[in-house]
Amino acid sequence: MSVTRRGLLTMFGASGAGPWGGSVDGLALAARGLEAETAESWQAGGRRGGTPAAGADPQPSIKLSSNENPMGPGKAVLDAIVGQFGEAGRYPFNSTPGEGKLIETIASLHKVKTNNVVLGAGSQEILKTAVWAFTNPSRHLVTASPTFENATNVARRMGHPVVEFNVDGQFRIDLEAMLTAVRGAGLVFVNNPNNPTATVHGGKTIADFVERVRRISPDTVILIDEAYHEYVTDPAYETAMPIALSTPNVFVARTFSKAHGMAGMRIGYAVGSTDTIKPLERFRMPFSISVFGVVAAIAALTDPKHIEAERARNTEVRTFTQKALEELGCRCTASQTNFLFANVGRTAAEFRTACAGQGIQVGRDFPPFQGSHARISLGTMEEMRKATAVFRDVLRPANAAGGGIV
Amino acid sequence: MLTRRTFVQTVGVGAAGALTGSWIGARGREAGIWDLASSLDAAQATQVIPLSSNENPLGPGKVVLDAVQRAFGPAGATPGRYSSATGELRDALSKYLNVRPENLTLGCGSTQILRTATHVYTERTKALVGTIPTYEESAGYAAMLGRPVRAVALDRDFRMDLDKLADASRGAGMVFYCNPNNPVATYVGAQATRDFIARVHRISPETTILVDEAYFEYVTHADHATMIPVALEDPRVVVARTFSKAYGMAGMRLGFAVGHPDAIRKMSEWDSGSGTSSLNVLALHAGIAAIGQGTAFVDAERARNKAVRDFTVKWFADRGMKSTDSHTNFIFVNTGVPARQFRDGCAAKGVRVGRDFPPFENAWCRISLGTMEEMQRAVVVFGEVLGKAGVVAAA
Repeated sequence: MSVTRRGLLTMFGASGAGPWGGSVDGLALAARGLEAETAESWQAGGRRGGTPAAGADPQPSIKLSSNENPMGPGKAVLDAIVGQFGEAGRYPFNSTPGEGKLIETIASLHKVKTNNVVLGAGSQEILKTAVWAFTNPSRHLVTASPTFENATNVARRMGHPVVEFNVDGQFRIDLEAMLTAVRGAGLVFVNNPNNPTATVHGGKTIADFVERVRRISPDTVILIDEAYHEYVTDPAYETAMPIALSTPNVFVARTFSKAHGMAGMRIGYAVGSTDTIKPLERFRMPFSISVFGVVAAIAALTDPKHIEAERARNTEVRTFTQKALEELGCRCTASQTNFLFANVGRTAAEFRTACAGQGIQVGRDFPPFQGSHARISLGTMEEMRKATAVFRDVLRPANAAGGGIV
Repeated sequence: MLTRRTFVQTVGVGAAGALTGSWIGARGREAGIWDLASSLDAAQATQVIPLSSNENPLGPGKVVLDAVQRAFGPAGATPGRYSSATGELRDALSKYLNVRPENLTLGCGSTQILRTATHVYTERTKALVGTIPTYEESAGYAAMLGRPVRAVALDRDFRMDLDKLADASRGAGMVFYCNPNNPVATYVGAQATRDFIARVHRISPETTILVDEAYFEYVTHADHATMIPVALEDPRVVVARTFSKAYGMAGMRLGFAVGHPDAIRKMSEWDSGSGTSSLNVLALHAGIAAIGQGTAFVDAERARNKAVRDFTVKWFADRGMKSTDSHTNFIFVNTGVPARQFRDGCAAKGVRVGRDFPPFENAWCRISLGTMEEMQRAVVVFGEVLGKAGVVAAA
């Protein structure tokens, strides 16, 4: 917040002109996080069906629907949280270590200054504040379809225009198409790798895209969401962080919800030039990361070996699962993430319901591919052995009837 | 002595008892991130007494922390999942408060509740009305949005001036009604509050009143009651609560709003984060355990705090320094010296007290209440700083 509570007292009584204008008034439409909603509906099912373990979130079946890390955060992180129990009563700005220490840790990891980093309650808060800060009724959002819907939903809820472009023939974000709409845009959202299609663009492609957007529309802000960064194995991929730091109006979002195994802790961050990310800091909810989240994230970042092992674990499970699906005639996109986007040859709803009947929960509908594709998050190897057996059972009859799936 | 540092090692083996502060920073509630980024490690080892942020010095207690640890799940994997416990917490809260789940929405601290309410109930043409001083979150957020803010002075006893507040409410979008009021600690009785709400709605039928009951559990007033029953019936009244104060969970970020289903729906529809995307799973389970302790926990904490409050207020009164009539876990006291001077003097001796609260920063200071042991040590420092160590007025 740059309008701090300190600054407030001088503003009290005056009607300051904020950057939002009246644009955010009169909004409607519910939109809780979709993943959370899914989790809640399953919890409701679990509660109906039996007794969940006391204290723990019930996991009534194998959950392959929210692109979580099935391993969780690991012992070092859990120990750090327990080690912070004595600070549970202190505000995050009073605790030791405080938010500032987390910012320092992130900054030093990426070799940037602390004012190149803004924290958020998950990268969702980063995406939300980016839409608040950079779009308005006359400055639209340019995004892909399908992609992570958070930015799209926030913009729609605010009544800010959204221009979407379907992914290309290889299920990659169609950057060429997006370029046709960037002039005058407030924000361009590029999810790389892209959820739910799992594909990635190489570093050179992203750099070229950024340069062209800058030429066409230098005031447009580009948000490159690298939520799945740690899972990428394609050597052509590069993080956009160096671009963000050297180019005005470009920033990168990262999260602890995926490879770091902390979706439940709600921690994400943005990295970019100070001028670019300052509006995010302003709109950010103060102290949205708990004292536990702060130490958990610090512990996670100081254990790079853990992430390497997690990438290797995920890659092995991904290869295994993709092979199993393709043996069933289900073509998968080139996944660089902890989930697969597979052509299951029937509606996602049909596949999902059939799998759920056997205790396997897979992803929701992702238009425009809901008629043929399902998103399957990767669990542990053991979970995927069970899941692929179910997939075999669920997919076989249709394959026999339909004569295979293209 | 059990420090928070050593507490870490003993938790889980049944440690109980008071925690003393091994706190390092001098961070006001308003501290900006850019400032926070500077390292404070140097002060880390010292035994600073933090009396600046109205926290519960005891923290949440073992029952809640055990629940946090259980929330890791059998394989420690649960924090890796998007949380599914919001429904469970809403259910627990609705039972505890005797309301329906649709009367509740959760927030990342009451901060999110205050921001959301401010967002949906004020407009560029519909002002936010509040006292000066009061808790600044709503007004700060309104100012950020470019929504007008009307400030109303307190009465002579540092209570909310209900006449002035009602007058100012005409045509307003929302009245922020912080009761007890931070930073001045005073409380307006329940009947006076009900009358005020009715009066505002006669004068200004479309104005929403956000009753912030953050310090509700600490009130010892004869006419003490929550405005939840009013809010349940009237979509123009919303009650905000937090787990940050009496429940000792400031670090976990959990608050909630109670109101008419229409009001709650309006709030949860605006904020996609409301109750889910911004709430951490450990806080949700902590909240369930905290509520599960029932009223006995709250009663004991209220009594503990009152004893400390009485001691501290008396210490100042004995030396001729007047406090407002506190119904909170902090006091607002006229030390006769600028808050900054008092604060710096105390800080140099390891006691952190509250920031400036204009227009009273020239003589008044907000002092959060620590444990009795901490306050016994703190008053020695106050005496030294104010040069009144030995002065005791006749009782």
